This record gives sequence, structure tokens and C-alpha cells, in this order.
Amino acid sequence: MAFLIRTIDVTASGREIVRDRTVDKGELSIGRASDNDIHLTDLAVEQHHISMKDAGGGMLSVESVGGLGFGLDGRTVTSGSIDPNVGGEVSVGTARLAISREGDGPVQIVIKQVEKDEGAGDVLQNFALASALPSKRTMAWIFAGAILLLLLSVPIVTHLIRSPVENDPDNLQQGQVVLDDAWSTGELSLKHHELEDNCEACHQTPFVSVQDETCLSCHEEIEDHADMPRQALGMPPMSTGDSLQWSIGETLGKEGPLGCVSCHTEHEGQVRQAAAKEAFCSDCHNELDTRLTDVDFGNASDFGEKHPQFRPAIYTAQFADKPVRVSLDDKPVEQSGLKFTHDEHMDPQGGVARMAISLTKYGAPLECSDCHSEWSDEGLIVQVSENGGKPSDYGDFAPVVMEDACESCHSLVFDRAGPQFRNLRHGDVDDLMADLATMDRGPRQPVVSGRGRPGQFARGGTYYSNFGRPMSAYIAVNRALERTGVCGECHIPTTTNGRRDLTPVNLPNRFLWQGHFSHAAHGDDVAECTDCHNAEESSEATDLLIPNLESCRDCHLGETAVKTEEITPSGCAMCHAYHTPTAPWKPEDHPEPGRNGGNDSVAALLGGLRR
Amino acid sequence: MASVPGNRFKQDERRRNADHVSFLKHRRYRWLWIAVLLCLATGLGYALIDQEPRPNGGSWYGYTLGTIGLGLIVWLSLLGIRKRKITAGNWSLKAWTSAHVYLGLALIVVGTLHTGFQIGWNVHTLAYFLMLLVIISGIYGVIVYATLPTTLSNNRNEMTRGEMLEALTAIDRQLESAAQPLGRQQSDLVIRALEQDVFYGGAWGRLTGTYPGCATNRALGGFPEVAGGVDGASERVRSLLVKRAEQLAQIRRQLRIRALLEIWLFIHIPATIALLAALFAHVVSVFYYW
Repeated sequence: MAFLIRTIDVTASGREIVRDRTVDKGELSIGRASDNDIHLTDLAVEQHHISMKDAGGGMLSVESVGGLGFGLDGRTVTSGSIDPNVGGEVSVGTARLAISREGDGPVQIVIKQVEKDEGAGDVLQNFALASALPSKRTMAWIFAGAILLLLLSVPIVTHLIRSPVENDPDNLQQGQVVLDDAWSTGELSLKHHELEDNCEACHQTPFVSVQDETCLSCHEEIEDHADMPRQALGMPPMSTGDSLQWSIGETLGKEGPLGCVSCHTEHEGQVRQAAAKEAFCSDCHNELDTRLTDVDFGNASDFGEKHPQFRPAIYTAQFADKPVRVSLDDKPVEQSGLKFTHDEHMDPQGGVARMAISLTKYGAPLECSDCHSEWSDEGLIVQVSENGGKPSDYGDFAPVVMEDACESCHSLVFDRAGPQFRNLRHGDVDDLMADLATMDRGPRQPVVSGRGRPGQFARGGTYYSNFGRPMSAYIAVNRALERTGVCGECHIPTTTNGRRDLTPVNLPNRFLWQGHFSHAAHGDDVAECTDCHNAEESSEATDLLIPNLESCRDCHLGETAVKTEEITPSGCAMCHAYHTPTAPWKPEDHPEPGRNGGNDSVAALLGGLRR
Repeated sequence: MASVPGNRFKQDERRRNADHVSFLKHRRYRWLWIAVLLCLATGLGYALIDQEPRPNGGSWYGYTLGTIGLGLIVWLSLLGIRKRKITAGNWSLKAWTSAHVYLGLALIVVGTLHTGFQIGWNVHTLAYFLMLLVIISGIYGVIVYATLPTTLSNNRNEMTRGEMLEALTAIDRQLESAAQPLGRQQSDLVIRALEQDVFYGGAWGRLTGTYPGCATNRALGGFPEVAGGVDGASERVRSLLVKRAEQLAQIRRQLRIRALLEIWLFIHIPATIALLAALFAHVVSVFYYW
């Protein structure tokens, strides 16, 4: 087998010296010793390092002689084979032996010296992913820096350099603090939603909690639940955990458990303030009398178990100036100045019923609603008077108006003028006297008795004249104001400064002042009027028909009661509000807020069903 | 002296345990149990403690969870410092790593409960998701550290990285001389294949193993396989190009496995630092606008 051995050396000046020689041997030895066929002057090479021989089939086999490896196509091996037609490279020391063959020619071995592995370590670094990505440290600095700059420094700096403005709900100064919406922990409640872009309106001082003063700058109409010092006195002693929490909170500017924000939490999403839980009230009111000994109302903790009897405000004496609160347990007697019998009016078999049936206005025995009407179909307590709804100092029902409710039976007609009837004016005794004094066509004594004038001169005719004395008018006045007179049918006669008069009518506009009650929520599908108001058995106007606590408990028990078809678990907030006991607080010019769907309260639900 | 071998065995066993038991199994999963207990305790507290009006990071329990979470995050990130100081004993690096993994997993529960499940476009949720990103990348890291090194070793096929590169260089030298008789067009193809950086392809190429611009593959397209080998030089270059492509494929498999093995750290570490920044912004902003 012939080998063409080509040695390429490079001179110091960079010139290549190429030497060719042909060796015709079956086996070729490679090593440092001079007797090798290929002699390599490199100390890293063994004296006799490699032997290369024909392996048949055009292949060359390469073997290590001394057992020390050599490089074959880059891998360190001790034996291997090369197909010269494809080519191969043997490396030993700094020498590279490229083996190839052109067609059927001799196997050509080109020997070159290479510089040993300069910078190989650096190249290996490229296997790490780090060589293809920005460094972890750079990325960390960029991300952390961006967060600290945009989400911390910008809001803080713009908050500190802003010029604070006084809050004005009609003219919000927005956007003074930049990027602080990234600090918002959640959307604001429905009523505060327009402040979403205006964090600094509430968060005025760094590291100080939202202050009551800030809340009151808009909510100036809000009332305290009670005097602040008394509220503090009325609170039960705090648990160790609570006092620890508050001592931490107060160092960061919280204003204690009586501050606005302790109840009015924000950033909980677009919702309304949820009604307080029973425990919120009972914490103080359960044993309030042990801490506030001078309160005139009883303790309360659970409507079903511990709640004082209702104390409606009524007039307990005729001529009284103002109503007084009387417990229903004390069998209150209402002195309204009126005579009235609910039982007679409501008896479906009685004379009143007969009369009502005969009148086209009723056509049936009287019902409650014939006399008592709600302020509006809405019947909701949140209506205000200016809008035609319920005035806030009235109950659900409008006062009974005599002209609408009574007069169709209790007629005040006293005269007839042509086709018209003349009614006595109602409401003022002076008007009544004036009306009756004009009754010149009243039934006077005829001048002659026994004979009537004929034709057009007869009573009722065109030329009829009454020449009798007008005395009967004054008599009629006197009789009207007597017990048996027309006024005495309903009113209690009296004498004022020697003149006949009527006892003033004293009916409260509202009976229960410390809670709110919705008749709408107790509509026809829940109860009839007479289920709660025992009118059918009331024979005296002095009967007070306000249902008592026990009758409410037929359906309403405390918050923890189990809900059944009959029992409605009822927390304090169903009837009581914190800031304004008679109704949920709302300033008069406040727009109607949105609602949390349709089921935010039993009242609204029942109201919706009714409508 | 009968007891000596027994003692010796125990001693050796202890040493073997210390040396060869995986950090995941360290001390019979001690930190796994501690992490599970932490999750159960915080979860139970969340379920039983009634927060008004709803669970929230700002309630006292929320602050408690937040403080635990903050402490854990700061401690977990200190592994980066701790691992550079190798010591033995109870607080050996292995114990520390074991705790790092399991307490890091427990942080998912603690952090999520701290949010009160209130998520929004804000710095607080940013911190939460950065935390999740760090934990998820960490989980990935544990999984690939457990599975990929075998694949990496198999792919090496008893070659070092240097040998792989050397093999490619050897092929390239042969290509250079084998390509001497070729015409312009084919020479250009060979030049381009030789000129292209072995590590061409970027991070994406490494991770997916796709190299659409590979010049060696393109050059192979210019050397059609001819039955019988009509043109000797062309045929030899083709054979060498095939060898080159095979060698490149091994290197690229190596790169891909390395990339899959290392990529999580490029998320884990920067996201941890970003998380610490976001956490700082979160805590400061909450109390700034209290």
C-alpha cells in the first residue's frame, strides 16, 4: 500500500515549506523516535505512538502502540478506523494528520502543526445558556429598578410635591399623584367610585390612616351615633388582642374603633356598605346599662331574645303639646281628641258596611285602605319629601284626611244652592261658624203656619222668600258643636274662653322613631293589616293599635335564628341604622346610588315582587 | 471488638446519608412535613377566623400571613448568599436547600391566603404573581435537575465538550482541503458552513432545537447524493458535510439540554430580585396610603 506523506512546515516568516515523499509499506509507524515512518519532534508524542495499516476494503486501521491515546476526528481513542475516501484526522501532540485519498490513488497524509488549544476554555463557556441570554444580574437590576422607580418612587414623589386641595365632591381635583392607582388594593365602593382616580382625596398624609376629618369634609351632614365621649364610655373593654391591634393602628394614625374607617372599609370592590352584623351593635348594647347608667332605653343583643319593648311616641293626654314615648307593656291610652270605633267601621255585617255598599265610592264593606293610604306605591323609606315621596318625619302612611276618608258618610252638607250643595269647611271652628252664619236659607220658622204659598212663590220656587227670623243658624252652630251635633260625631267638644270649641286632634305623624319599618316589605303576600293591627276588635279611639314586640317575634328572630318559611333571621340593621336611627342616612341632594343587584335586602326583594 | 464494625457501619451510614441523600429527602423529608404543617395551620386559620367584612390582606390575620410570607421570601432569597458559604452540620447547605424548596412551596399557600383571593392590576398583585413565577420556575428547576442530567450524560457519548468542538474542527479542516477541487458555487456553500458560528441560533434556537438558518444543512442541499459517486471531490465533501451535521447535532442537543437545565435560573433569579423590589413597594405603599 502506498502512502503519500506531505509535511507542511511554516517558517518564522510565515512561509510554508511543503515536502512530499511516498512510502510504500503495508504498515506505517508514527512516533517521536527517528526510526518511525512519520517522525514527529514533539515531547508529548511517544517514541512509537501509533501504527496505521491497511484493514482491507480500502479502510485504514489506526492503533495506539504504547497504550496512550490519540485523537481521531476530535475524540481521544486508542484504536479506530478511517475510510480515506471520506477522510479522517488523527491528532497526536501538536500534529494533525489529515488522511484522504483521491479515487484509486495513494492514501495521502498531510501533516500540519497547530497551535495548541488557545482559548479553548473560553469557547467551552459557550455551552452555558448564559452565553445566549442577558446576564441574570442585568435582568434583575432592570426589573427591580423599573418596579422601584415606577411603582414606588413616582407615586411617592408626586404625592409629596402636590399642592393639597380642599375636597369638593362637585369639583374633584384628579390626577395630582401619578401612578398611584397601581397602589389601589381594589375598586372603591359604589358611592366612592368617582374617587377612583383621586387617591389623595382620602389618603392625605403619608403613613397616616384616612382621618375622620377628611371623611367629614364631604359628609358634613352625618350625625354621630351618640356623643363621642359617651360612645367611648359605652364600649366594652377591649380584649388583649384588640387593644394590641389598636395600639399598633393608632401609632399609624388610626383613630380607634370609633373612627370612620374602622367600620367603613374601602377597596372591597364596587359594592355598597354592607349592613352591620348583630354583634357590631350588641358588643355595646348588650350590657350598656352597666357602663352608661343614665340611658333610658333597655339593653339589646338579639331581637328574638333580648330587645326592649317598643315605645311608640303618642299623645297620652288631651291638649298635650307633644307626644311622649310609652312602652307597649304599660297599656298606653292614646288621647287623640277624636272619637272613632274601628270595630264598627270594619264589621262587614254592620250598618257602616251597609252604607258603604250603597255608596258608589266604596260599593263594598270598608277596608283599611279606604281610609289609610301609603305615601307612594314605592313605599320605600329612602324617598324624600321634595320628590313627592314620604317626608322623613312621617311613617309609611299619610295622615288620614277627613274629606277623603270620612266625609262621604259623615257629610258636612248644610245647604243647597241651586244644583250645588254647600259643605261646612272642615278643620277650623271659626270657618265652621262663618259657614253656618251664612245659612240664611236654612229652615226658618214660616211666617204663617198651616198654609203654603202657591206656584212660583212656594218653597223652592223662583220667587220664594223666607221672611222668618234667622235665629236657627246660631242655634245650628251651637248644636253642631254639641256632643250630639255634627262635629260631635267624631270630635270631643270643649269650651275655650267661654266659647264652644273642639278638643284639638293630636295624632302623631309617626309612632316609632328609633327604628324604621317598611310596610311595603310586609305587603299583602306577607300579612294582612289586621294580622298585626288588631283594629277589628278595637271599640275605642283610645286603643293604640301598634303591634308589640312579641307579635313581631312571630316571624322575626335574631340574626342567628334558623331561616324557615315563617322565621326571618333579623339583625339589628333590618330596623336600625347607626348614624340616623330612623332611616339609613342619606343627604338630601345625594343621587340615588346603584344597588347590588336586586337582592340587597328583604325589603327590596319583597317590594320588587309586589311591584 | 465485635461492636466496632457495627459502629463503623453506623458512622459510615451517617456520612453516606449526609453525602448522598438527595436534598429533597433530607432528614426523612423533615422540611416537607414542616411545610405541610405550615400550610395546614395557615389554611385552618383562614377558614376559622372570621374577618369583617371579608378576608383581606389588611385584616390582622392578613397582616400575620403577610409577615410570615415576607419573612419566608427574604429568607428564601438568602439562599443565593448562603450557598456561597459551604458548611456542614444541622444548618448544612443541604438542609438549607431542602428547607428552601419545601418552604418555597408552602409560600404558595401562605401568599395566596394573604391575598384573600383579591386580585387586581396593582403592585400588590404584581408581587403575588412574581412570587408565583419564582416558585413555578423553582419547581421546574427541581424537576429538570432530577431528570435532565442523565439525558445530558447520555448525549455526551463519552466525549467532553472540548472534544465535541475539536471533532468539529477536525472535520472542518478536512472539509477545507477536500473542497479544493470544487467550483465556485459549491465552494461558497462550504465556506458559509465553515464560517457559521457553532453556537449560532440564540437562546430560542437552543431551547427549541430549531436552527432554520443552519448553513451546514443548506450546504448539504447543494450536494445531491449521487449513486456510485460520479464526482469524487463532491462526494467526499458531501460525506464530510454529513459528518459535520451529525457532530453539530450532538453539540446542539447538548446545548438544548443545557438550556432546558439552566433556563429556570434566568427566570428564578431576576424574578426573585424583582419580587423583592415589588414586595418593598407593596409594603411601603400599603402603609403610605394606609
